[in-house]
Amino acid sequence: MLEVKDLYVSYGMMEVLHGISVTVKPQELVSVIGPNGAGKTTLIKTIMGLVKPKSGQILYNGEDITHLPAHKRAGLGIGYVPEGRRVFGQLSVEENLRMGAYELKDKKRIAENIDKVYAIFPRLGERKDQLASTMSGGEQQMLAIGRALMLDPKMLLIDEVSMGLMPIMVNTCFEVIKNLNDNGITILVVEQNANKALKVADRGYVLETGNIIISDTAENMRKDDTVQKAYLGG
Amino acid sequence: MFLQQLINALTIGSLYALTAMGATLIYGILGILDIANAGAYLVGAYLGWYIYYGTGSIVLAFLLSMLAVGLLGILLQRAVYSPILAKPHTLSIIPLVAAVGLFTMSSDAVRLICGPNSKAYNLKFPVETLRVGNVVILPAWLMIFALTAVLLVILWFILNKTKLGLAWRATAGDAEIARVCGVNTDTAMALSYILGYGFAAAAGIMTGILYNSITPALGEVPSYKMLAIIVLGGLGNPMGTVVAGLIIGIAEVFLSVYTAIPIPKDAIAFVVLIIMLLVKPDGIMSRKNKV
Repeated sequence: MLEVKDLYVSYGMMEVLHGISVTVKPQELVSVIGPNGAGKTTLIKTIMGLVKPKSGQILYNGEDITHLPAHKRAGLGIGYVPEGRRVFGQLSVEENLRMGAYELKDKKRIAENIDKVYAIFPRLGERKDQLASTMSGGEQQMLAIGRALMLDPKMLLIDEVSMGLMPIMVNTCFEVIKNLNDNGITILVVEQNANKALKVADRGYVLETGNIIISDTAENMRKDDTVQKAYLGG
Repeated sequence: MFLQQLINALTIGSLYALTAMGATLIYGILGILDIANAGAYLVGAYLGWYIYYGTGSIVLAFLLSMLAVGLLGILLQRAVYSPILAKPHTLSIIPLVAAVGLFTMSSDAVRLICGPNSKAYNLKFPVETLRVGNVVILPAWLMIFALTAVLLVILWFILNKTKLGLAWRATAGDAEIARVCGVNTDTAMALSYILGYGFAAAAGIMTGILYNSITPALGEVPSYKMLAIIVLGGLGNPMGTVVAGLIIGIAEVFLSVYTAIPIPKDAIAFVVLIIMLLVKPDGIMSRKNKV
C-alpha cells in the first residue's frame, strides 16, 4: 500500500535520513520505533509532502507521489495525526473537524463523518463549540485523530501519539488505533513508546540516527535482545 | 459636545481599523509586517481621484480602485514576498525591508507621476450637514462610517461563515497542517492581499474625501500608525484590529479635545500602545496558543 524506497532527506547541509526503506501492506499496523532525533517525524513529514526528499521514492498504491504538493495529497486517502497534536487552537472542535473534511464537497457526507467521529469520541461531541486551545491534551489528541478520520482515510500516519499524555490517555489512544486497524484502516505509527507501539503492531522497524537497523514482525522484535535492552527497558 | 466628539472619534477610528486591516490579514497568514499597505492606501487614493474625475462616479472610483489595488497586492505577493519567504532561513527583517522599499517606491512614484501638489476630491453630497439636536454630522462622516461598517461586516462574514474563511483562519493558526488538510495556502495568501490592499485603497479614498486633500505624503502617517494598531489588536487578529482602531480613534479625539497634553496627535497611538504593552503584552484580544 505504502512503499518508501531508499529515502534520503536533509535539512540544509545536515542529512537526517540516509536511504531508508519502509513498506506497509494493506490492513497492516506497522510501528517505527526509535529514540528522539532518529528521523521518525521527518519520515512521516516526507510521506505527507511537508519535507522534500533529496532522493528516493514514495509510492502509494503503486502511484509515485514523491513530488506531489502537500495540499494535493489529502485527497489520496492518507490521514495524518501530527506530533504534538497541532489542532487549530483558535477554531472550535467542529471547525477543526470541518478542516479535516476540507477536500469533501458533499455536505451530507461531512455531517455523517462528524457524527462518526463523535460516536468514537463522545467527549468531542459534548464540546463541539469549544475552542480547541481550551481543551486538555488528551482531548486535543482525540480531536487530532478525529480530524484525520474525516476523509474516510484508507491509511493513517500517526506521529508520537503518546507524547505528553497521561498513561491512561495513552492506553485509550492505542486502543483506538488498534480498533481503527481492526476496522480495515492501514496504519503507520512512529513512536518513542516502543512497548505500547510493538504491542499493537503487526510489524516493526527500528530507526536510529537516520538508518533502519532492525525490521521484523512485532512479536520477534519484542523478543529481540537489542530491542529489549535499548527500547523495552528489559 | 461629548456626543459630537464621540461620533467624530468613531468615524476616525473605523477608518483606522480599515487602514490597518490589510496589515493584520497579511501578518495573520505570512507572519510579516507589510508596511507597503500604506502604499496601497496612497495609490488607492490617487487612483480613486483619477477615476472620479474621469467618470464622475464615486462608486466606480471606490470599486475600480479597490479592485486594481487588490490585484496589485496579489502581484506583489507573487513577485516579491513569496519568493523571499520561500528561501530557507529567511530572517523576518528581510520582508520588512522589502515592504519599506515598496512603500518608499510607491510614494515617490506617485510624486513623479501625479506631481507634488495636493489634489482635492471636492465630493458634493446632496446635503451639506445633518443636524440632530446639537450634534452636527457631516455626510462624509456618515459615508465613511457606513462604508467601513459594510466592508468590515463583509470581512467578518467571509472569515467566519465561508469555507474560504475557515481555510484562512486554519492557515493563520498552522499553515503546515492546513496544507495537509488540502488547503492551497497560496489561496489564503491571495485572499489576504486582495482584501487587505483593497481595504487600504478604500481607506485612502475616504481619507481623501474626509480632509478634501490628497498628497504624495498621504501614506506616511498610516505607515507607522497602523503598526501601533495591529500590535494593539493582537497581531494578526482581524476583530482585535477593529477594536484597536476604535480605541486609537477615541483616544486621539478625546485626549486632544479634553486635555492639554503637549504631545502631537499622531503620537497618541504610540502612547496607548506603550501603556497597553506594559499592562497586557499580548494585545487586547490576544490569540492564545498561536504556534
